[in-house]
Amino acid sequence: MKTASVNMEAPPGNKEKRASGLYTEYKRRRKILLKTQGTVFGVIGLLALWSLWGTGFNLLSIITGTYDMFVFMFTDLFPPDLTAIGSLIGPALDTLYMSYVGMVISVVFSLVLGILAAENLTPHVIIAKVSRAITAFLRSVPAVVWAIILVAGIGLGPLTGTIAIGLSGIGILGKAYAEVLEGMDKNQIEGVRATGAGWFQVMGQAVWPQFKAGFVSWSLYKLDMNIREAAILGLVGAGGLGYYLQSSISLFQYQTAAMAILMIFALILLVEFITAKLRERII
Amino acid sequence: MGETIVDIHNLNKTYPDGTVALKNISMKAEKGEFIVIIGPSGAGKSTFLRSINRLSEPTSGEILFMGKDIVKAGKKELRTLRRNIGMIFQGFNLVKRLPTVRNVLHGKLGYMSSLKGAFGLFDQDQVEEALGILKRVGLEEQAFKRADELSGGQQQRVAIARAINQSPQLILADEPIASLDPNSSRVVMDYLKKACREEGFTTFVNLHQVDFAKEYADRIIGIKDGEIYFDGSGDDLTDEVIEALYSKEKEAVAG
Ligand SMILES: Nc1ncnc2c1ncn2[C@@H]1O[C@H](COP(=O)(O)OP(=O)(O)OP(=O)(O)O)[C@@H](O)[C@H]1O
Ligand SMILES: [Mg+2]
Repeated sequence: MKTASVNMEAPPGNKEKRASGLYTEYKRRRKILLKTQGTVFGVIGLLALWSLWGTGFNLLSIITGTYDMFVFMFTDLFPPDLTAIGSLIGPALDTLYMSYVGMVISVVFSLVLGILAAENLTPHVIIAKVSRAITAFLRSVPAVVWAIILVAGIGLGPLTGTIAIGLSGIGILGKAYAEVLEGMDKNQIEGVRATGAGWFQVMGQAVWPQFKAGFVSWSLYKLDMNIREAAILGLVGAGGLGYYLQSSISLFQYQTAAMAILMIFALILLVEFITAKLRERII
Repeated sequence: MGETIVDIHNLNKTYPDGTVALKNISMKAEKGEFIVIIGPSGAGKSTFLRSINRLSEPTSGEILFMGKDIVKAGKKELRTLRRNIGMIFQGFNLVKRLPTVRNVLHGKLGYMSSLKGAFGLFDQDQVEEALGILKRVGLEEQAFKRADELSGGQQQRVAIARAINQSPQLILADEPIASLDPNSSRVVMDYLKKACREEGFTTFVNLHQVDFAKEYADRIIGIKDGEIYFDGSGDDLTDEVIEALYSKEKEAVAG
């Protein structure tokens, strides 16, 4: 306010000098901003070029590839073998079990790890750090890699897929839960604690009401994701529709494979529909 | 003279960062006393109240409450002591997503088994009692609304109801009306004072408004720089004392 009024009353010459001083400052800042933006976009552009070259990207092969893909889809995959439905029900259920049980495993362990990792609930900072490290490790290994390792140990089948999905899920849900818990309002917790409530009571009556919405959303989101992952995991031998898909492809039974793909598609839509309804209901 | 409810000896509190918030505070409070604590910002009023139910851990000293030393109490004992001490906060501190009546029911958690309390399994008598208390603070119509749907003044009355439901011997209220308009402030103070009279509990209220303090208090305690600077009735609290209490210089002359 004060400088502004001084400016107004200053003689014209002085005024111009001041304005130009501010203007150079404006230009200077603008230049810095443009330079940073230029650098960022430049780096992104270079990275893109590098990866195009690295992946052997080439427009022509996309065009011919698309053509070949359509030919394959219409001559080999089409029409899907509807009679295969009967033998697909078992694998489809396996995929569902893997996703669901995998989610339950992740939820249970993530709850414990999440509570231990949340700064406002952890019994000790060191425990929080350890818990964070465990979830970060589980998160950094993709479910497919877990499946490949587990196939070697446990063997082929849905159990392997379930554990693989469960493990990678802990990585994601553990972190998500911890973040939701850290975002809680500590005053509400203090209000309940001050009544003489014990740990379980504070958890049930002050933490849970604040945690519930985030907990439900994240867990159901994971279930959605699991269905997709379960389908992929089958490809490395971890049971379910993916396994069926992979074996029919290797036997050149493309129309049966097409049916399996349709089934995966239907399953994903079905689970998405159900989780959306559940989410509406609970939250 | 009445029975002593709180007996504090040489209470000290130094925060981990080295801030000395309370220096050798000693005082006694009797059953049914309505005590208002005033003092400049940062004097240690909140720290004092929060030390009494150990939401803030005292560094040293003794707080005898109903004959037991709160400072030395173990976890389980602390729970039993806390259920006898209701706390009312400036920000109400209700669980916002839960219905009003459930927030009042929380007053009973300290009397329940861990699991029953955790799952909120309150029995019929407890619910009826909570509804009755809500009626007493004029909120029976808001019983099933979510706590955050209520106005600030109403939320603070719910907090009072929660505290009453603890059947406490002592209520600690840390600036209960600081975020309310003058009208709601008066309503909240009236309910608090009325509950204190009817239930016979002792009340400590931190206030910034000296006029409210004089109007409601049986006894006023002035805290300055972590020490008790004044302790007496509203009439003893003259303008000179108030000025000295709130003045910045540490060596201001006591009235
Ligand atoms: N968690 C904390 N860590 C470090 N210092 C703290 C903490 N809480 C309070 N203090 C310090 O302790 C002193 C007393 O604070 P307190 O909150 O008790 O004052 P108050 O009298 O309640 O003030 P106000 O009227 O502003 O609420 C202040 O110097 C404050 O900065
Ligand atoms: Mg305070």
